[in-house]
Amino acid sequence: MSNPPTSEPLLERLIFNNRTIILIGFLILTLFLGYNAVKIQPDASFERMIPLEHPYIVNMLEHRDDLENLGNFVRIAVEAKEGDIFTQEYMQTLKEITDEVFYLSGVDRSGLKSLWTPNVRWVEVTEQGFQGGTVIPDNYDGSREKLEELRQNILRSSEVGRLVADNFKSTVVFAPLYETNPETGEPLDYGAFSKELEEKIRQKYEQSNPNIDIHIVGFAKKVGDLIEGIGSIAYFAGITILLTTLLLFWYSRCVAGTLVPVFSSIVAVFWQLGILRLLGYGLDPYSVLVPFLVFAIGISHGVQVVNAMAIEAAKGFDPMMAARLAFRALYIPGILALVSDAFGFLTLLFIEVDVIKDLAVAAGLGVAIVIITNLVLHPLIMSHIGITKGGIRHVQNHGEKQDRKWRLMSNFANPKVAPISLLIATLGLGTGLYFKQDIKVGDLDEGAPELRADSRYNKDNAFLIDNYSTSADVLVVMVKTPVEQCAQYDVLMAMDSLQWELQNMPGVQSSASLANVSKVVTKALNEGNWKWYSISRNQTIINASIRDAPSGLINTDCSLTPVLVFLEDHKAETLETVVARVEEFSDKYSNEQHEFLLAAGNAGVEAATNEVISSAKNMMLVFVYGVVSILCFLSFRSIRAVVCIVVPLGLTSVLCEAIMAVSGIGIKVATLPVIALGVGIGVDYGIYIYAKLERFILDGMSLQEAYFETLRSTGKAVMFTGVTLGLGVVTWIFSPIKFQADMGFLLFFMFLWNMIGAIWLLPALARFLLQPEKMRARAAAKAAK
Amino acid sequence: MAKWLTRKTIGAICLGVSLAAAAPSAIAVEDVLVKPARDTDLATQNLLNDAVDLGERIVAVGERGHIVYSDDRGETWSQAEVPVSVTLTAVDFGTPRHGWAVGHSGAVLHSSDAGETWQLQLDGVEAARIAIAAKEERAVALEEQIEDAPVEDKGDLEWALDDLMFSLENLESDLEVGPVNPMLSVWFENDSHGFVMGAYGMIFRTRDGGDTWQDWSGELANPQGFHLNAMTALKGGGLVIVGEAGFITVSDDNGDTWELRESPYPGSLFGVLDTDNPDEMMVFGLRGNLLISSDLGERWQTIASNSTATLNAGAFTDSGGVILVGNGGAVVSRASDKHPFETYFRSDRDGLTSLVLVGPERLLLLGENGVVHTNAAGKNF
Repeated sequence: MSNPPTSEPLLERLIFNNRTIILIGFLILTLFLGYNAVKIQPDASFERMIPLEHPYIVNMLEHRDDLENLGNFVRIAVEAKEGDIFTQEYMQTLKEITDEVFYLSGVDRSGLKSLWTPNVRWVEVTEQGFQGGTVIPDNYDGSREKLEELRQNILRSSEVGRLVADNFKSTVVFAPLYETNPETGEPLDYGAFSKELEEKIRQKYEQSNPNIDIHIVGFAKKVGDLIEGIGSIAYFAGITILLTTLLLFWYSRCVAGTLVPVFSSIVAVFWQLGILRLLGYGLDPYSVLVPFLVFAIGISHGVQVVNAMAIEAAKGFDPMMAARLAFRALYIPGILALVSDAFGFLTLLFIEVDVIKDLAVAAGLGVAIVIITNLVLHPLIMSHIGITKGGIRHVQNHGEKQDRKWRLMSNFANPKVAPISLLIATLGLGTGLYFKQDIKVGDLDEGAPELRADSRYNKDNAFLIDNYSTSADVLVVMVKTPVEQCAQYDVLMAMDSLQWELQNMPGVQSSASLANVSKVVTKALNEGNWKWYSISRNQTIINASIRDAPSGLINTDCSLTPVLVFLEDHKAETLETVVARVEEFSDKYSNEQHEFLLAAGNAGVEAATNEVISSAKNMMLVFVYGVVSILCFLSFRSIRAVVCIVVPLGLTSVLCEAIMAVSGIGIKVATLPVIALGVGIGVDYGIYIYAKLERFILDGMSLQEAYFETLRSTGKAVMFTGVTLGLGVVTWIFSPIKFQADMGFLLFFMFLWNMIGAIWLLPALARFLLQPEKMRARAAAKAAK
Repeated sequence: MAKWLTRKTIGAICLGVSLAAAAPSAIAVEDVLVKPARDTDLATQNLLNDAVDLGERIVAVGERGHIVYSDDRGETWSQAEVPVSVTLTAVDFGTPRHGWAVGHSGAVLHSSDAGETWQLQLDGVEAARIAIAAKEERAVALEEQIEDAPVEDKGDLEWALDDLMFSLENLESDLEVGPVNPMLSVWFENDSHGFVMGAYGMIFRTRDGGDTWQDWSGELANPQGFHLNAMTALKGGGLVIVGEAGFITVSDDNGDTWELRESPYPGSLFGVLDTDNPDEMMVFGLRGNLLISSDLGERWQTIASNSTATLNAGAFTDSGGVILVGNGGAVVSRASDKHPFETYFRSDRDGLTSLVLVGPERLLLLGENGVVHTNAAGKNF
């Protein structure tokens, strides 16, 4: 083996004979793509995170303009820490905040509401009719008398529970937002708007008046926080690179062998981001994770190059020759492994959610780039630098020192140990299957599921839910009617009937629609007499009763009116049963006059997403395991080999779902890809190990002996790869974005456990399934042919 | 059979999704006069408009045809079988077994089993037809009268005829829309004689337990068609009806003829209470107005309720106190006529429509969010 092999593949000659030109090309490309990479923008587009093909979402988007005024607003609760709202200081601060919000760009000023805006009024029935006024008393001067008058006005208004907290310790500034700025025509920049809320409202006024706390909720704020969360990923990238570098140095003991793979992998990340930007993509909370995977995969393949070079250099070859030999040995298995990763990612295309499809594209692109950077650029650079003496010595010493450990571990293939391993695996499988029964679909936590329960946003959200009559989980049923018919008696009665049907279901808190408005106002128009709390058959009375209905409840040509259903939570069962009841009602009662369409609101979107996820889940599992099994079969031409490799993966998948069930992580848009990624990348370990194992068996060794040699040659690389991949994702656990943390946790588990499964369970299965004699006989017969 | 039907329906839906989208099914939601009240646990948490205390049993009525009854002073409730789901506004029992409940769409319901099951006796369409027929008859009579009348009386009679024709036209155009107008109050003397009344001055009388009804609006001097909001019988046999815009009318012949009383107050009155004294009554309504008369409404005395909340219902306590409830969660009470009235606004500020004295120092309040037990001041225990 110490003579330089002579056969040079064409590809190798092409690359290594033109290395200067290629390196210059790499430099130019890297500068260009790197420039684009740093300019990539965070993008938390709502539409990309939902299943656009689902009929509910199709309905929602079709009627988006009609529902515009319904959902997009922020509520800013100004809380008095000591005492209540009836102090001069509090009211002064509230006035300043109201004025400040008025001038924020993006706010629909005509709809702005606070105790200080003229549209917040009290009304009272008198013998002559109505009397009323603004809630802020005329000639308000902050005196005790005026504050008392204010209190009376608030009680006479219907704002307690809406603008004023039940305990009178906080009030709300309600700001509807424009999706697109009517002056400039530009879409609302959620990131910038959210930042303005933080700086101009929260920071400024909590500083100027130390007795107040400010709580802000609303879709725009949530998206703003998500965008901010994407930014914090940069820190994780730094930590991951640092940890990986240290680990790599510990592994290779060679500065060049450490820095060059890291450098090549970073180049891969820059390329990937640069190309994404050129293709018009932004960085959403899902695709922002792909660079981590690209980096980790790059490193784990880079390790193979460093390892191979060190071994060749130890034999005495110069850097150029060592690099060429490493390339020659690795380019085919490397490409194969990466292609199987790519197939794993492609199964994500089954999920009809754009962010996930983008994730598949970004990850597939990343893997393709890793082939170029870590299988071409990396050996080219190394051919100039070479492995240091320390690194070579490390490789030389390593073998003998570690032998005892590998010897011990080779017992996993021992006929006495293997049954115990299988027993443990079976018990583990049983336990996993038992706990996995409780796994839920969808988001399970309260508040905004994208963010952590203890995030500022979710604390603010909890504050508003506790102190005001609101629910965070709203299902919107759209009622479509002919033009100008949305308030007909029949329509209102049908909506009322649906509402009552739903309110009688567990999980439904309350509901609201034009029907409620009509009843309340009809009562008010009849001197506030509750006996008139009913929908009149007289259309003139109905029309009068809805004249001042909130704009969100009626579209411009009165052809669409929503029913808002407030739910107790957004658990999948709750959503499923409520949605099923609405569909039943719609099937029965939809007609030319009124058609009941699902669904909008956060609960409607989640119901649709859950349906898509549930149906995609099994298909994706079948497909990803099918692809992996076929790839394994094509490589090894043996069903037994497929079983040896795939069964440990299956165990990991089951245990992963059990962990999800126990730790309250549901199957959702974020966690479904984990299965594909975990299996797609996880199969590499089994392929590496089985390939070596088969080689050594065919060389005539017994199973345990062959496994010992397998561990000796590749065990360390496999374990290192598992740890590197784990490190690549483990930092996500600290992400402010909840689903990123969930993904990080689960992927970390899957990467490590798949590695353990390959090293521990694969040989045990081989003990029962592989028959070395027959394998050798078959190989011999084949060779003879 | 039902199962088979469901399966068939589902099959049809699966087969014909595109068809269904093109031609949605034509079933309409059932009319509230036809659709029975839904059996629901929410009846006692939803709007209840009126309650009657029969001693053994309390019966309350409310939105969506809800009628609930309790035999343990309001601790637990059962829901009655009701053939309609209109908003019910008032309930009264002529005997412990025979009761009537009224509501929107002109619905009049009768129960002969102490409120457990109810039958529809009259609806707004039938009521309007009765009223139209009666008014047409009166119009004919009036025209004859005008012809025979001395010239100096003709003017007044023609005015009356105009009023009559106007209200007749209103009734007819309303009837074209349907049973638009609600009944707002009911009073029964026994199991056969009683009155139901409501919006725009409509009032009907029965003397055969509801088998037949007579339009009685001609006997009340109510040409402007004020809403009739409440009716009660006083000690000594006098009857009184109060309504919109301070309308007060009394009868001393058990309802045959009615005499308009000059109103001491121009705002709407929502309730009238009898006392232990003959011909004495307390009426109340908008903005905390409270008046008392000891001579069947001839003279009135204003009492300071010390509240501006609209008062909807009230009751005298055994110890001579008064408790009234109203909008905005107002509970207005005094321990006796020596004490001033005090107002307590309940913290939920739910509108209150009715109350029952369920025990010493114990109230059952009814309102927009159903029933609640409180102490005598209306505070939660």
